[in-house]
Amino acid sequence: MMRLPPWARSGRVILGLSLVLIVVLCALFAPWLAPNDPNRQDLLGTLMPPAWAPGGSASWPLGTDSLGRCILSRLIYGARVALTVAVIASTGAMVLGALLAYAAGYLGGWVDWLIGRIVDIWLSFPPVILALILMVGLGSGIQNVILAIILVDWTRFCRVLRAEVMVVSQRDYVAAARLLGFSHMRTVIREVAPATFPLLITLLALEMGIAVVVEAILSFVGMSVGSDTPAWGQMIADARQTVYQAPWNVIFPVGAIFVVVFAFNILGDGLRRTLDARLTQTERS
Amino acid sequence: MTATIAKLVMRRFLVAIPTLLFVSILLFVVLRILPVDPAAMSVPPNATLAEIERMREQMGLHLPIPQQYLIWLGDLLRGDFGTSTHFRTGVAGLVATTLPATIELAVMGMILGGGLGLCGGLLIFYFRDTRTEAALDVGTIAVLSLPDFLWALFLMLVFGVVWQILPFTGRLSPDLDRPVVTGFLLLDTLITGQPKTFVNALYHMILPAMALGISAAPPIIRVLRSSLLDTYQEDFIHQARLRGLSERRILLRHGLKNAILPTLSLMGVQFGFLFGGTLLVEIIFSYPGMGNLMVDAIRNTDLPIIQTVGLTYCVMVLLVSITVDSLYLILNPKLRAR
Repeated sequence: MMRLPPWARSGRVILGLSLVLIVVLCALFAPWLAPNDPNRQDLLGTLMPPAWAPGGSASWPLGTDSLGRCILSRLIYGARVALTVAVIASTGAMVLGALLAYAAGYLGGWVDWLIGRIVDIWLSFPPVILALILMVGLGSGIQNVILAIILVDWTRFCRVLRAEVMVVSQRDYVAAARLLGFSHMRTVIREVAPATFPLLITLLALEMGIAVVVEAILSFVGMSVGSDTPAWGQMIADARQTVYQAPWNVIFPVGAIFVVVFAFNILGDGLRRTLDARLTQTERS
Repeated sequence: MTATIAKLVMRRFLVAIPTLLFVSILLFVVLRILPVDPAAMSVPPNATLAEIERMREQMGLHLPIPQQYLIWLGDLLRGDFGTSTHFRTGVAGLVATTLPATIELAVMGMILGGGLGLCGGLLIFYFRDTRTEAALDVGTIAVLSLPDFLWALFLMLVFGVVWQILPFTGRLSPDLDRPVVTGFLLLDTLITGQPKTFVNALYHMILPAMALGISAAPPIIRVLRSSLLDTYQEDFIHQARLRGLSERRILLRHGLKNAILPTLSLMGVQFGFLFGGTLLVEIIFSYPGMGNLMVDAIRNTDLPIIQTVGLTYCVMVLLVSITVDSLYLILNPKLRAR
């Protein structure tokens, strides 16, 4: 039997990947998994408790919200928004951050100085504030949420990766490639970039968790998807209005966010340990 | 020596000025691309087009954006932060009444977070190389996976709604009078000698500050642990053991003392993040700080408030980072030598 690489044998990676896989399956097969139409309102059956609580009904396994919509179905459909944002936004942030990091770390000089100053400016914003301000400028909608996350979080990749690129660029094999007559472009693509992939993958996993949180925050304040698309942050905001009558309605979407973010975090942590990616704690929050 | 430190701190301040300038440009440009017309929002709904046009000119919106920016910057430097288009009062006053609340909350949150982080870091280090360590480590990842505003909701549910032992709306019970001296409620109640109000205000802060503290703690725990592990590789720990010191004394007097510096500098970074975190926590607890002001302003597209509050958050982050850097210089003799 083929021996698996260390990262595939790490308990943390397996746990993270399994949880992510479950959520991905929920998102992909939402129409088949959801017991009800997530937007169908039943104004006679509002704020129903979960099926196991007194007064609950098996047709609404986790109860209903203040408009009588099925909580479980909305949770399952909500995974679509969360994962779409997680995948596209973090990949975008990675591409933007990595390109600038390669430029800064490899070229050095004034390019490095300039990119460094831009990162400084970005870092003087608390990320949530910058995301909110960008959303004010861009207007609400899921594309703009993705764009805002890319424009805020590229610095997370750029800062960490730049240091790594600088170290790698000093290695002998990079100098050897240049002596062989490789162009700068080719040296970066063929020699420098591959050495940074472990770090990049680790950061990507962690960023996906962050993107899920930011989307939840923006949909919590009503700046993400429209009201006809179920999203977890929106569910929390709705449920907050009726927290006394139905505390469960807050707990379920909070739990869903927790599970997804935990999955990405434990996956990232497992990858960091097994790929030996250089990463300090400051990059995680 | 003090002169060198003062010089380095001064330099940090000078570097912060251009950063702040670019921050303000960024803020201004982002908010000018938005599709709504601030002039149309500043006049009554039944205003005529001509009236809106007059308002545009009065607000300077017909000028090119760079010129508008310079006017805004000039006003800022003269201490004129503009007038809220929604509340129709000065923005400076609104920020001045809400900023102390936010600072107070952030400081409380940081104290709790720092305390939790230090205790947690020492605990997890104490259990190093055991199964307990692995369990605690996964535990910190779990804690980290719930962002501050969800901790806020969770704590509110548990201690406010289900278990009704702590208040979770506002800064003070509505039946109590709020003394105003500095704007910092805890300080004001002490100055005016109202212990009952002080305790009440403290009670109101427990849940929001806990939410901030709990989510700030895990990174501190992890950095303290790893820097303790590094410190324990050093010869002086080995020598302390040979001298027969107790493990506890080695940990507190030799280990922690040397491992605390990287942790302190991380706490500075965390404090900056925590300031951003106050925004949503304030909303969850209806806490009358800058976060609530900001979100209300966003709902009303109240640009003068959004700009000023956004800038204020950045100033706070920069001030925290300068303070932490300076502390780092004062505490770390190695850096001073240069």
